Amino acid sequence: MITAERKPMDEIMGMIDGCGRILLVGCNECVTVCAAGGRKEVALLAAGLQMASMKKGRALDVREMTLERQCDPEYVEELAPHIDQVDAVVSMACGCGVQEVARRFKKTPVYPALNTKFMGASEGPGIWAERCQGCGDCLLGLTGGICPIARCAKRLMNGPCGGSTNGKCEIGNDVDCAWHLIWERMKELGIEDRYEDVIAAKDWRTGRGNGPRKILREDLA
Amino acid sequence: MSFQRRLTSGEFVVLAEMNTPKGVNVSALVANARKIKGRVDAVIVPDMDNGVMRMSALAGGALIHQQGMEAIIHLYCRDRNRMALQGDVLAANFLGIQNLLVVSGEEMANGDHRDAAVVNDLDEVELIGAIKALQNGVDMSGFSLDGTPEFTTGCTLGAFADEKTLDAELADLEKKVAAGASFVVTPPVFDVERFAASLEKIAALNVPVIASVFLLKSVGIARYMSLNEPGAHISEEMIKRIRKAPDREMECLRIAGETIAQLKKRVQGVKIETQGWEHKLPTILGFAGL
Repeated sequence: MITAERKPMDEIMGMIDGCGRILLVGCNECVTVCAAGGRKEVALLAAGLQMASMKKGRALDVREMTLERQCDPEYVEELAPHIDQVDAVVSMACGCGVQEVARRFKKTPVYPALNTKFMGASEGPGIWAERCQGCGDCLLGLTGGICPIARCAKRLMNGPCGGSTNGKCEIGNDVDCAWHLIWERMKELGIEDRYEDVIAAKDWRTGRGNGPRKILREDLA
Repeated sequence: MSFQRRLTSGEFVVLAEMNTPKGVNVSALVANARKIKGRVDAVIVPDMDNGVMRMSALAGGALIHQQGMEAIIHLYCRDRNRMALQGDVLAANFLGIQNLLVVSGEEMANGDHRDAAVVNDLDEVELIGAIKALQNGVDMSGFSLDGTPEFTTGCTLGAFADEKTLDAELADLEKKVAAGASFVVTPPVFDVERFAASLEKIAALNVPVIASVFLLKSVGIARYMSLNEPGAHISEEMIKRIRKAPDREMECLRIAGETIAQLKKRVQGVKIETQGWEHKLPTILGFAGL
């Protein structure tokens, strides 16, 4: 999923300074799962913004909505009947959702309430960790299903740097050494011999080397 | 007189662009530089020009300095992060390079290492600001330097095809000047009269303007540029002039020289780009009366 965290209240308040009525829009997908921008978080932020405004002696009308997906025009359209009644939209989606709302409603400012973090997975209650950087040319088949681009601090492609201790990265004891994980996984799978295979210098064209990326599926277009 | 002093005293400056080799054989670079020693005020050394991997500009600039000439090296953000850029700026000072030109890097997709990762940690405005900070004795993290470098830092004006794009480019230029750029290099000028109208707007920023003079090496290049560079404004008349000349190559050199001569009355200096014909620079300078 795409993970996110809510921005500090002061920053959000700064963005909507001068607004009397806002539309606070959550998303029912990734940011709901990582407890950053779903219906519940929309309600919490709405209350927080109203309290913060009251403290400043201002009234703030917050209208709450949560879309099925903010990155999909079909669902973003549901905002249309409400958009002219507000001074701004505050989106609690990831950056994709914020931009999709901004693309659809050109005359209304759209502000992000979240900081989009990474593509990751849940490691336990309340813990999400980075797993993928979307390089566009997946090499997990070569590395035992563990990505050195997303999970090695130095993005090394051919073994560890030598700075790890007891399977932990030199940047911190709470970070696993990706290459330690890869080695252990390869041993479990009985494919240690593949560890010696040299991965060639990566072709980054698929990973933003050539600018913003787009997928075109002609069978669906 | 140094490039910087000529700039501040309003003297006309002549800059010649010279690329480093794709390899370690610097003999052509040295030989070509020596041929124009005393006839140009500084040599501009691009870095990985057109996205082609070459010897770095830092080495090229040091080499030019060793020849007793002044160097201006390109700096850009595509290949280096802020650590590497600041380190290179300090190294440039140590190697005797007095001038920097912050440019926009060619798209990786257009170069010869298309699979390389793009860095772009900073943009041009931020890099110019970082250079200024280094000159004030602090790095981008606010740490003090042990010995501060001194540079004359320039920037470029992006290509513009019409008034609207010029205005957008001028807005960017204004930011670069505010960040610390003390001269600006324009896109190639082929039609001096047409350029003069734009020059009024550029001059309003009160920063010395150096016009680029791009050597059209053939009818084919002239035609290509006229079709693919909307801002070039290469006239049919100019293309016809090259095509009909008994010695086309010499005519190309003459056109470049004449363009320089025309620009001399209007701008603070010229930057001559020969696209690999650095050995022809003496001839161009001759046609320009320099």
